[in-house]
Amino acid sequence: MSQSIISVENITKSVISNNNELSILKGISFNINAGESVAIMGTSGAGKSTLMSLLAGLDQPTSGKISILGSTISTMDDEQRAKMRSESIGFVFQNFLLIPSLNALQNVTLPMVLRGNEDESSNNQKAKALLKEVGLAGRETHLPTQLSGGEQQRVALARAFVTKPKILFADEPTGNLDQKTAQHVIELLFAMNKDQGTTLVLVTHDAELAKRCQRTLIISDGQCQESA
Amino acid sequence: MKTNKMIINWSWREIWSGQLWPVMVALTLIIACVVALSTLALRVEKVMTNQGRALLAADLVMRSSNPISPSLVDKAEAAGLTISSQSRFQTMAFSEEKLQLVTVKSVETSYPLRGALNLRDGNEVVTHEVKPGELWLSPRLFSILETEIGDSIAIGDAELTITGVIDDEPELAYNPFNSIPNLFIHSSDLDKTGAIQVGSRVRYRLFLNGDLTSLAAFQESYELQPGESWVDQNRESRAARLMDKAKQYLSLTILMVILMAAVTLILTCLHYVRNRSETVSMLKSMGASRAWLRSWLTTQVLIMFAVAFVIGGSLGLLLEYLLRIPLAGILPKELPSVGAQPFVFAIGVALCIGLPALLIPLTRLLDAPAINVIQKQAVQYSKKSWWLLLLPLTALVMFYGTNIQVWMVLIGLLVLFVVLASLSFKFLKLMSQLKWNAAFSLALSRISRSPKNSMMQLAALSGSLMLVALIWLIKSDLLGDWQQTLAPYAPNVFSINISPEDQPNYLKELDKFELPRSDAFAIIRGRITKIREQNITDLAIYEDPEIRILKREVNFTWMDQLPVYNEVVAGEWTGEKTVSVEVEVAEELGIKLGDEMTFEVNSQPFTATVNSFRAVEWQSLKPNFVFIFNKDAVADLPATWMVSFRAEENQTTFVNQLARLYPTVTLLDLRTMASKVQGLLRQISWSLTGLAALGVLAGILLIFTLLRLSLNERKREITLYRTLGASKKRISNTLWAEYGLLALSGGFVAAIAAEIILFGLMTWSFELPTQWHPMMFIVLPLLAVLVVFISLSTVIKALLKPLR
Repeated sequence: MSQSIISVENITKSVISNNNELSILKGISFNINAGESVAIMGTSGAGKSTLMSLLAGLDQPTSGKISILGSTISTMDDEQRAKMRSESIGFVFQNFLLIPSLNALQNVTLPMVLRGNEDESSNNQKAKALLKEVGLAGRETHLPTQLSGGEQQRVALARAFVTKPKILFADEPTGNLDQKTAQHVIELLFAMNKDQGTTLVLVTHDAELAKRCQRTLIISDGQCQESA
Repeated sequence: MKTNKMIINWSWREIWSGQLWPVMVALTLIIACVVALSTLALRVEKVMTNQGRALLAADLVMRSSNPISPSLVDKAEAAGLTISSQSRFQTMAFSEEKLQLVTVKSVETSYPLRGALNLRDGNEVVTHEVKPGELWLSPRLFSILETEIGDSIAIGDAELTITGVIDDEPELAYNPFNSIPNLFIHSSDLDKTGAIQVGSRVRYRLFLNGDLTSLAAFQESYELQPGESWVDQNRESRAARLMDKAKQYLSLTILMVILMAAVTLILTCLHYVRNRSETVSMLKSMGASRAWLRSWLTTQVLIMFAVAFVIGGSLGLLLEYLLRIPLAGILPKELPSVGAQPFVFAIGVALCIGLPALLIPLTRLLDAPAINVIQKQAVQYSKKSWWLLLLPLTALVMFYGTNIQVWMVLIGLLVLFVVLASLSFKFLKLMSQLKWNAAFSLALSRISRSPKNSMMQLAALSGSLMLVALIWLIKSDLLGDWQQTLAPYAPNVFSINISPEDQPNYLKELDKFELPRSDAFAIIRGRITKIREQNITDLAIYEDPEIRILKREVNFTWMDQLPVYNEVVAGEWTGEKTVSVEVEVAEELGIKLGDEMTFEVNSQPFTATVNSFRAVEWQSLKPNFVFIFNKDAVADLPATWMVSFRAEENQTTFVNQLARLYPTVTLLDLRTMASKVQGLLRQISWSLTGLAALGVLAGILLIFTLLRLSLNERKREITLYRTLGASKKRISNTLWAEYGLLALSGGFVAAIAAEIILFGLMTWSFELPTQWHPMMFIVLPLLAVLVVFISLSTVIKALLKPLR
């Protein structure tokens, strides 16, 4: 029996813009079960990224409740949410966001360091294995500037999976890549996701990519609809 | 613990790749400068106080140009004070081979009352007092006179046998200009020398020891007679004044270097924060806690401080050593150690500046929200860490609390910059309305479109250029002023005490030897007694301790024509029984043209009417006088004569011959002193140049950082231009035009500001004549353009690389 890993209950999000209150999300509810892959789609400005940042605990809803792994993150403070992220959540971003002053290996071990895993050799071992998995064996000491876009995103994938997160959030992971490279990165993403049994939440414009997920949520006019 | 190594490695790389290295360089520079300069300053100060203590040779000294009256001695003894007296005068000493002008100190056996007198005789026995019949010479005299212990030398009419050498004596001022060697004789042998005659210049001292209250009471009860003064422990010597100016320059340079380094720090940090907020957001998104981030940033700050302390400290010591090399001639061989004080001070300064400069922007970095990795949001930075600004402010108040000058300079700088930056901005805006080629009009419109940004850049650019110019100009002006003292053809030997009978022959001898000489001047020693028929003792200015001329004897002279090197600033050199007065003394005494003044020479009063005021350059070694009389006013008063002439090295025999022919004439041979002073000035100037170069380095570092940062901020904009199809040439021309215009106007503004501040500093702080530096209006803008070119050419090239 699958159990709900993310539960969203009637959340709203509004921001103040030029002294006007602007409602971005208007009462959204859904559940995501462990191991599921879910695509979030919608037009630009519909609120996809806002929703994702709320789910990942990067921001807080104006009202409503979000629970992750049974804990209500919408009432947690900044620090508690950071702890939750370091323990259970991984990210892949559109613009990779690698640390420019760290090499590929160090970028991958970073989440473990943030978690407090002090054993450098075991960290390096895990990171090397993952870099090999994404096809970057032998590139460990390269700095981000010495890697192509596709390679950088593959380092980012390795970084996202190195802590075996329960949930992986991917924000337009192929948005900055050409079609062929994008394809390769997506294959890797889904393969690793399957291997580790991670729950995947993916924000995308790409209908083809969305089709590869088990479910698709469409955000429109502040509301959320499950696609058939 | 192993991960700490990774964090340290990472922090290290962050510092280099994240452009934090100028922070480290700036911190290093601050520490190096403060360590070097404060060590040097402390050393010099210690040397001066050490010597100052022994300087007096007693607790209190009465100095007089007349013999100390026996009644005063009685009074002092009655008050329970220990006393000892001394007479000193300058005369020629002759050995078999040589002659030398010496200072003879005739002392009692009780001398000195304070300080050490160590005398060593031929048997290496050390004694501490001068006994009747003894003659002790300062070490230098042995080589100058080519003589040894046991030889006899002539001092005036007396032939005395050398008892030994002076190893150590009090009253030796820390004075590199003191080039006349001295010797000790006992006061009972004074009369034998016959050197003391009517009109000869003898200085008398009464040394007094006792407890502070009796001394104070004695000093209080005694009314000083004309020609008498209490020796003030803080009396300035010429060398002390020179060192004072150098020290003033030193602290000014420290202040400016620190100022520039601080601005570099702040700019770099702000840039770092802008560049790194994405990284921090990303780390936060991956779950980094504030505590982790804080320790991550702290590691970087600690590394920077640690490196700066170690490198800066060592560099500082090295620098102090280097600055000291040229000063070796002035400083004693055994230098007092200064301990850890300069380091503590340097660390304090670095923390006071570095902590707010680093921590305020870095704590703002902590506020970068995690959500920025997905959606850029405006950030509300907390202002909690602004209290750190109290650190430098408190330090400033503690150090310069009552020093209005410093506050005026700081506030003046600020005001000047706001005014000048807006003026040059207005000017550039005006320029933009004229017709220009495409690159220039684009550049001008860009400058006038972002006034805040452009003005900041203008202010920072012209500010640093101005400080650089100031450091250099003050140095040149100071040195120029000192060098003026020693013109290459200035007279270098002075003959004084020439009797009226000898005078015509003496001049004939000089002309026979073909030594270029000045006119002969009559010297009449006298004092001022009345101004506008009012006794000077009734005048309010008589009590003014700054005005000494009323209380001492003055050298008068008479002439047919005023010397050409004195400029008459008011009145005319005519009339009978008239006098021309040096303009500054005239102002001091409130004398006007046409005033009648009464003088007294050997108790003979006479009057003269003021007919003109003259400007006199006391620094020049030409014979100069405060009062120059018309011949009929003073011609029949007792006078001796003086003449100055120039003798080259190979004419020494003439000089010696002259001295032997006229033993009663005192020869003041400045040749050794002049070359010594010249060497000294060269030494100090090397040190100051080194110091100035350091300041310039700090300024260039600042400009370099500023320009590179400002161009880096434009990356996105330039990429956009490229994407929109602007040619490389168009973009680089526009950039060069923009920064070139900023540099030119910044340089010009800097030149104006530097002149204004220089005027203020020279007038009120260094008390030196001011002058314009028209070249600066060309040099500074060009320098600015050059620095801009050097700093930006690589960055612009990098920015224009093919798009990816």
